[in-house]
Amino acid sequence: MTALAAPAASAPTAAPQTFQFSLPNGMQVLVIPDHRAPVVTQMLWFKVGGVDDPPGISGLAHFFEHMMFRGTKEMPGDLFSQTIAKNGGESNAFTTHDYTAFYEQIAADRLKLAMDLEADRMVNLDLSDANVATERNVVLEERRMRVDNNPQALMGEQMQAALHLSHPYGRPVIGWADEVRHLDKVAAEDFYKHHYAPNNATLVVAGDVTPEQIRVMAQAAYGKVPARPLQPRADFSEPPRLTETRMTLVRKDVQVPVFQRIYRVPSYAQASQGQAESFETLAQVMGGDQTAALYRILVEEKKLATDAGASYDGYARDAGEFSVYAVPRAGVPLETLEKAVDQVMQNFARTPAGASDMTRAKTQLVASVTYRRDSQYAMASAYGQALMIGLTADDVEEWPARIRAVNAAGVQAAARRLIRRDAVSVYMKPEGGK
Amino acid sequence: MKLRCALALIFSFAILAPASAADIKALDLGKKAQVWFSEDHTVPIVAFSITLPAGTAYDPSGKAGLAAFTASLLDEGAGAMNSRAFQEALADHAIQLSASAERDDMVISVVTLSENAPLAMKLLQTALTKPRFDAEAVARVRAQIIQSIQQGNTRPATVARREFGKEFFNAHPYSHPSTGDVASISAITVEDLRAFAKSHWVKGNLMVAVAGDITAAETQKLLGDTFQAVPGTIPPPIPAIGRLGTPGVHVLEMPVPQPTIMFGLPGIMRADPDFIPGYVANYIVGGGGFSSRLTDEVRVKRGLTYGISTSLTAFRRASVMAGSVATRADAVRQTIQVVKDTLGEFAKNGATQSELDDAKTYLTGSFPMAFSSNAGIAAQLGAFQRQGLDIGYVARRNALIQAVTLADVKRAAKRVFDPERLTVVVAGTPVDGKPVVQRPKPPVRPENSSPATPGPSVKSAPAETPASKPVVKPAEKPAAPPKP
Repeated sequence: MTALAAPAASAPTAAPQTFQFSLPNGMQVLVIPDHRAPVVTQMLWFKVGGVDDPPGISGLAHFFEHMMFRGTKEMPGDLFSQTIAKNGGESNAFTTHDYTAFYEQIAADRLKLAMDLEADRMVNLDLSDANVATERNVVLEERRMRVDNNPQALMGEQMQAALHLSHPYGRPVIGWADEVRHLDKVAAEDFYKHHYAPNNATLVVAGDVTPEQIRVMAQAAYGKVPARPLQPRADFSEPPRLTETRMTLVRKDVQVPVFQRIYRVPSYAQASQGQAESFETLAQVMGGDQTAALYRILVEEKKLATDAGASYDGYARDAGEFSVYAVPRAGVPLETLEKAVDQVMQNFARTPAGASDMTRAKTQLVASVTYRRDSQYAMASAYGQALMIGLTADDVEEWPARIRAVNAAGVQAAARRLIRRDAVSVYMKPEGGK
Repeated sequence: MKLRCALALIFSFAILAPASAADIKALDLGKKAQVWFSEDHTVPIVAFSITLPAGTAYDPSGKAGLAAFTASLLDEGAGAMNSRAFQEALADHAIQLSASAERDDMVISVVTLSENAPLAMKLLQTALTKPRFDAEAVARVRAQIIQSIQQGNTRPATVARREFGKEFFNAHPYSHPSTGDVASISAITVEDLRAFAKSHWVKGNLMVAVAGDITAAETQKLLGDTFQAVPGTIPPPIPAIGRLGTPGVHVLEMPVPQPTIMFGLPGIMRADPDFIPGYVANYIVGGGGFSSRLTDEVRVKRGLTYGISTSLTAFRRASVMAGSVATRADAVRQTIQVVKDTLGEFAKNGATQSELDDAKTYLTGSFPMAFSSNAGIAAQLGAFQRQGLDIGYVARRNALIQAVTLADVKRAAKRVFDPERLTVVVAGTPVDGKPVVQRPKPPVRPENSSPATPGPSVKSAPAETPASKPVVKPAEKPAAPPKP
């Protein structure tokens, strides 16, 4: 055991101290003390997600996350959730392409219980055929609710599939409906055996605790779960994109047209120094809010759109994404709107962003870190997410300084990096509409 | 069996968590104002929750959506600042200002770095007292609202919610969608907006909750300065309500893969001594996420849905127990039947002792979590203020829940969960046959209303989600679905 909890970073003045260590079985632990209320947020992260779904059964990682709530030998049925609830806690989980996280928010004096329960289901899950069949239907309902009932979500799914060519980021985490129907007990058992082990897990605890308490408690609860050989994660390449993909989606269930474009760009894990932070700043200054260029020019000045914006999603092990969108005012053709978006984007590539716009964007990004400190869940998520994609706690703590260091030249370089070959552009239109 | 023994041991202790971690004080801002304050300097931010009598129930006839439209313009220009200048003043200092129109009130949330609190309040004061309603901003926001309504027309959850409001609240101003409809939004003039702000953005019965990195003296001064210039008038009361509910199944055909079902019954008013037993009863039957009877019957046993929940919401003039569930088109009838059977059984027999015990430990034990952040504290205290509760309620609340007996739950359950009177709205096209048509029972008499005391924390969403600034942006990458 790494006997001493060491501060993860020489924390700059404003950042809270975090502490990191590992257990002998390989489990990583990070502690974020916050003593304002006698409550705690435990998040248990596994380095497994939608990219690890075997070919032909997309949705397995997410389905398996559901199965983790279906009981163990000692805590059968719904006893996991019920026990947390009985003790005044909340529990839930989520799955992404790169990782899966389970969490509990509970009174600090109940943390031991939450740890015992998580440690139990890490090894003792009881998968039965009946549970698998019922939960598969639940997931299909979840898919209908989140995706099939929502044309914008369907559009997003098609865009991802087109953007990533053969990389599994192109498969929806929730799974294609026909493949979800093929999920079975054997697939779930294999998945469990190959990916759920302490040596594939990172525990993040934020709240009214000390690192020393957590070291003892984590060893007692999780330390007894033996490490296991893991199935190595496949290294997926990102095949070169030779040309832009364009799609037009015309549907009856669409009333408001929209233009959207997504670029495949480097993520935080892939970017050169300062590059991801430059994309982040570019997204803010180009389309982060009502003061940003896209809204200002398209919505307020040219009156072509009712809404327009940009965003950067860089927290991925492989490719990141930069996206722009605009919603036309009634009667404005999407072609006209797209041209106007392109003009704004070209301005950023040709001319450095203005000083006051840069300052405003950076102020907001840096402040978002202070706002995050108000929430145990947001803090635990920020660190957990970073660790899951191969970043360190230092990266999280140095992020505000790195944002402050972004300059107009970096933002301009990021704008130039947005090339159409790397993009999928979509028009979504109402049937019979303009 | 070690784990279970450990659990049994833990259960044998009652949860003694403090009612709240925060020490809450009342500040004096004049007779008609309520200011609750919680100080903590750990994180350098301050959160304000400000309640004004400008909810959607004040929308005049034919102008549905006026309150929400006006609220959307709160940050769109004031005093010498046009919309852009105002937005830049906020963004330059990373001030988060938002306003949403609930049924009874407008709720303004301000979250700011503590160093910018004076500026944030100065901007809010200007916004409240000198709104501009420039033609450009009004036209732009009007177009956004109309698109947001149109987009909602294709979403079964939105359609069901809107229709449920109409069927449940009948002719009362609670019945219309918070956002209004395309015709009513189109009919609203700049003069309407101006007049609404003048008569409703007022501090009669002002409620403010403040939490975070600021002292009591600073808060007192800041709020005094901010609201000094806001008129002290009080708008006329929201009208009393007639009958609640239109029992029966109402289907709005839509070609969607998964219809949404909304169902509801008259609830229990906040001042009624049965409100807390009703709240506990609702938790047991449908409010408790994974551990509720409805979740168990509909999701866990039958796999019919991803989620089903109910909430008991007391507005100032009416209370509603409302639930929603979405299921595949060929299981709508079956799902409605399971819901009815579950509610019926509960109304008849009430809860078991262990259900009641579990509900109590959850509802009391989870309460401190609402006090773990500045933003959370301000929001929670603001919600208590809007329910007409006094500041001592925060400390009393858990004891009131502990005192609920099985007989109380049974009485409340019988009062509320009568499946025969259920108003059911289906948005979508069921293909498992016509949902059971029933002979409607006469609607129940309205509840008396007047704000007063006891009750729990408000986590349940109102039947109609509050209208805040409309957004029509594309869906996020469908990647991280929470809720297993």
